Amino acid sequence: MSVLAPPEAPPRTGTRTRRREDTRLLCGEGEYLGDVQRPDLKHVAILRSPLAHARIRDVDVSGAMTLPGVIGVFTGAELAVETGEFSHHLPMIPTLRQITWSVLATDKVRFVGEPVAAVVADSRYIAEDALELIEVDYEELPAVSDAEAGLEAEAPLLYEDWGDNVFLYMPGAHGDVEAAFANADGVLQERFTHHRISGLPMEGHGALGEFDPASGRLEMYVSTQVPHTLRTVISDITGLSEARVRVVAPDMGGGFGNKAHFMREEVLVAVLAMRVRHPVVWQQDRTENLLSGLHSREQSHEVEVAYRDDGRVLGLRADFVVDVGSPELYILGCAPAIVTTSVVPNCYDLADYAFEMRCVATNKCPMGGYRGYGQPQGIFLMERVLDLVGERLGIDPVTMRRLNMIPDEPRPYVTATGAVLDTGSFGEQLTELLEAAGYDAACEAREVARSQGRLVGVGIAQMVEPTAPNIHALAGRFGGYEMAMLTVQPDGRVNVAVGTKSQGQGHETIFAKVAAEVLGISPDDVEVTDGDTAALPYGTGTWGSRSAVMGGGAVIKAARQVRDKMAAIAAGMLEAPPDQIETADGFFRLGEAAIPFGQIAAAAYLHTFLLPPGMDPGLSVVVGYDPGNTSPFPDERGKLNVAATYSTAAAAAVVEVTEATGVVTVHDLTIVHDCGTVIDNVILDGQIHGAVAQAVGQTFFEEICYDENGQPQTSTLLDYMIPTFGDAVRPRIVHRETPSELLGGFRGAGEGAIIVTPAVLAAAVHDAVAPLGVAITQSNLSPPRLRALLRGRPAG
Amino acid sequence: MKPPRFDYVAPASVAETIEALAGTTEARILAGGQSLVPLMNLRLARPTLLVDVNRVADLAGFETRNGTLRFGAMCRHRFLETDPLVRREAPIVAKTAGMIGHVHIRNRGTLGGSIAHADPVAEFPALLVALGGRVIAGSTGGERAIPAAELFAGPFTTSLEPEELLSAVEVPAHTPGDGGGFAEFARRHGDFATAGVVVILHRDGSGACVRLRAAGCGLGPTPVDLSAAGEFLLGESALSAGAAAELGRRTAALADPPGDVHGSKEYRRELAAVLAADAVRTAWQRAGSTGWGAGD
Repeated sequence: MSVLAPPEAPPRTGTRTRRREDTRLLCGEGEYLGDVQRPDLKHVAILRSPLAHARIRDVDVSGAMTLPGVIGVFTGAELAVETGEFSHHLPMIPTLRQITWSVLATDKVRFVGEPVAAVVADSRYIAEDALELIEVDYEELPAVSDAEAGLEAEAPLLYEDWGDNVFLYMPGAHGDVEAAFANADGVLQERFTHHRISGLPMEGHGALGEFDPASGRLEMYVSTQVPHTLRTVISDITGLSEARVRVVAPDMGGGFGNKAHFMREEVLVAVLAMRVRHPVVWQQDRTENLLSGLHSREQSHEVEVAYRDDGRVLGLRADFVVDVGSPELYILGCAPAIVTTSVVPNCYDLADYAFEMRCVATNKCPMGGYRGYGQPQGIFLMERVLDLVGERLGIDPVTMRRLNMIPDEPRPYVTATGAVLDTGSFGEQLTELLEAAGYDAACEAREVARSQGRLVGVGIAQMVEPTAPNIHALAGRFGGYEMAMLTVQPDGRVNVAVGTKSQGQGHETIFAKVAAEVLGISPDDVEVTDGDTAALPYGTGTWGSRSAVMGGGAVIKAARQVRDKMAAIAAGMLEAPPDQIETADGFFRLGEAAIPFGQIAAAAYLHTFLLPPGMDPGLSVVVGYDPGNTSPFPDERGKLNVAATYSTAAAAAVVEVTEATGVVTVHDLTIVHDCGTVIDNVILDGQIHGAVAQAVGQTFFEEICYDENGQPQTSTLLDYMIPTFGDAVRPRIVHRETPSELLGGFRGAGEGAIIVTPAVLAAAVHDAVAPLGVAITQSNLSPPRLRALLRGRPAG
Repeated sequence: MKPPRFDYVAPASVAETIEALAGTTEARILAGGQSLVPLMNLRLARPTLLVDVNRVADLAGFETRNGTLRFGAMCRHRFLETDPLVRREAPIVAKTAGMIGHVHIRNRGTLGGSIAHADPVAEFPALLVALGGRVIAGSTGGERAIPAAELFAGPFTTSLEPEELLSAVEVPAHTPGDGGGFAEFARRHGDFATAGVVVILHRDGSGACVRLRAAGCGLGPTPVDLSAAGEFLLGESALSAGAAAELGRRTAALADPPGDVHGSKEYRRELAAVLAADAVRTAWQRAGSTGWGAGD
């Protein structure tokens, strides 16, 4: 046995390393969907409804069929004959309307942009030319352009057989709300509104499908966060066996939750590939993305809050009205709103909480998931309530939060809605925030600025985020476990395959570090593959801040199993018990004796005569990982612990409002963030910076607009404004690390900053304009919207 | 987002360009392409023939002639922004060019293209109105001058005939005592303005304001002549804060802006008031300094 000096210690989790995927991605060598080439590739263009609500009387494709270069033109009615349907797969929710829909509209269109027909042609140019030759005879119907209009008695009906437009009705009652109001010194009534936005991944949705008739196999390249579950859906609808479908998610230009749904067009591409027997590709262009990608966030909340004069909030009633647009989206577009209702208690001791929610179908683009997934609205509600109650009582925001905060003990703490919180101390986190932000000094500076007539405001907000969810009751068949495959090759290099999918978050880097730390080798020796159903039996993808927690946990579990086998081999070679073998720095050690990692790997595959008697050759495992502490379905009282663990954050902001124009300048933003064990600080900081940029966009720039006929007003990036580099706000970031009980101690990151930032910006803007008598109760603080509030303020 | 089929020619001279335009009513000039090409990709513009004038040398350059500044239609925004001669002879043109888009856009975009495109939120059409300038249009029938006041007919619509080439833009040369200020509000750096106001004025040897013209972008279906709002300042030797604010109020009252996703009618009126006051302060100060304040 050779005994060598140990190499330099490999980088551990928690350190700053260069993202290994960046060289490829930043040098233009990534392989995105648009880079995937096939000989004889044909192009799909989709005819979309120009009307918000209409019956389809007839679709005439004869003109389009004759255009040179056109391979085929397909209508919804034609494809429906041999193709299955989508549904939400949620029969267990009795108050959810059970609907089915097809890859293309068949009888009715319900939003501008809904797919009606598809052309396959030699080029996208020809395909788009052909779209203009398709004649659709529509019977236009009156449109429902927002949820409130949809609830009116005489509203047009999206689905005549429903009798109304309520897609989902969901009540909830926790504790004794009547008693809370009976004991209250005062009641606050308020209405909060959240505007419609889009997650807007730089790369839109898209899919390439190739069907081999000889083998009966279908290969799909899809820009999706959920390749395995998409495979199940494609299999369902096409009728192909899952064993014959491979889904690959190549490099992705973002997803942000928009790509955690199963798009009609993705399955359409599969169907077309099987029909035309050419490989076909469809890539959503920007206008398609804005019209028919996904929208998010639009909700209104009527709340009543019972409070005591000492600042304690006793109980809360809320009426949530959610504009879900067309409900024809799988996974359920109401799911974020259900999450909104569940996170309202936030990190506060609020036992008595009751709500009703109505998700209203309207003639707009389907609502779906976007980073934050309903939580920004729920957190906004509670944080605004604390400030508004405090304002009435003359109690400052910090005191209001300390008065109502969940105490440090016990852990876990079970909230009103059933969340089993395993977090660190909220009080200590707040103290750390106030120090990091220089809160007291900021408040003093605000007073000076006010005395000079400037509208400067300071705000704080907190959040607790359920991460790594297992939301079987919302997700329609798909739970929240994860899988990983880990193989040590004969040369000692390692392959890891995971069921999560990086959309730019640096998963190659973090999973390599996680595996390497367990195996005691360098991350440079670990190759990570994700987004390929051929590389791993199953996985549930990347969403819900779950990748580190669930994917990382699965990788640790797999690495430990392989390491233990290798330790057993080493023990045999060193003639010692396996539990005395240590793994570190690329060696298996027993005292002074050490065997290189690669030598054990070679023994497992090549020098198998060295293996202990009875041991199978090879070093490869596939593991499934489910911490098992979530409730896939609510209990009889509607309580549900959706998350394997919880992350927390607290934020402070200093802003200044220009009264004449409504422009808000963010002078300072500080975020204290606790996602448990940190794997890589650079990547984590990047997650927070990106989330803040999106929150700034949501608050000050972005708004999807429709007119009263359901016609979209924001179909290009000239009209839908996202922040540019110069508009991004650079936060100060403080990491607390309270490890969770789960493998690796991770809590999950990626969404916390986008959940807390809209609330803290609203708090600060509220504080800035408070001297004018204006209250901030809406998420949209764009210059024209804020100016409208200032203009409409009460006289005097 | 692909354009329909079109033909393409790239003439080398003005005469060849005019000849190409005469062949069809569905031709469009391709200058910088910053507006036309996206519109073609959206299939909102559907020319059957693109006449690319990027190789027409006669359309470039800038000269001063008999009290008139004459700019070739193909002057790029970036040239106008940075050329030392333009900065000296036409500082307000240089300043305005620098307000358009980002550098990459200004490297391609052209003065003639911006004016012929007639986007109601674009800067150069409003500047042309405020300066009381005109454009030179040529066709097989000869050349004519169209004053700014008669050029802009509606959003993205001018009185240019389909077969006419906008070959040059002429504005009066500046004289000592002239001052110009252009203030605009854009949500993001480099965006089209939600609204903008340009004020051009002249102060005589005593410092009194003897001429004032103003125009706005984003405040109507075309660039809007707002000069009437400033008549009360004629003869004044000082611009008080109150007078600037009064100009703002009068400008807002005169403007009849559209409402859209970028701002309601009311919001644009409020912006007009702020911007007019801002623009007149700048113009007043520049008129009182040497030149037009080209150095600042």
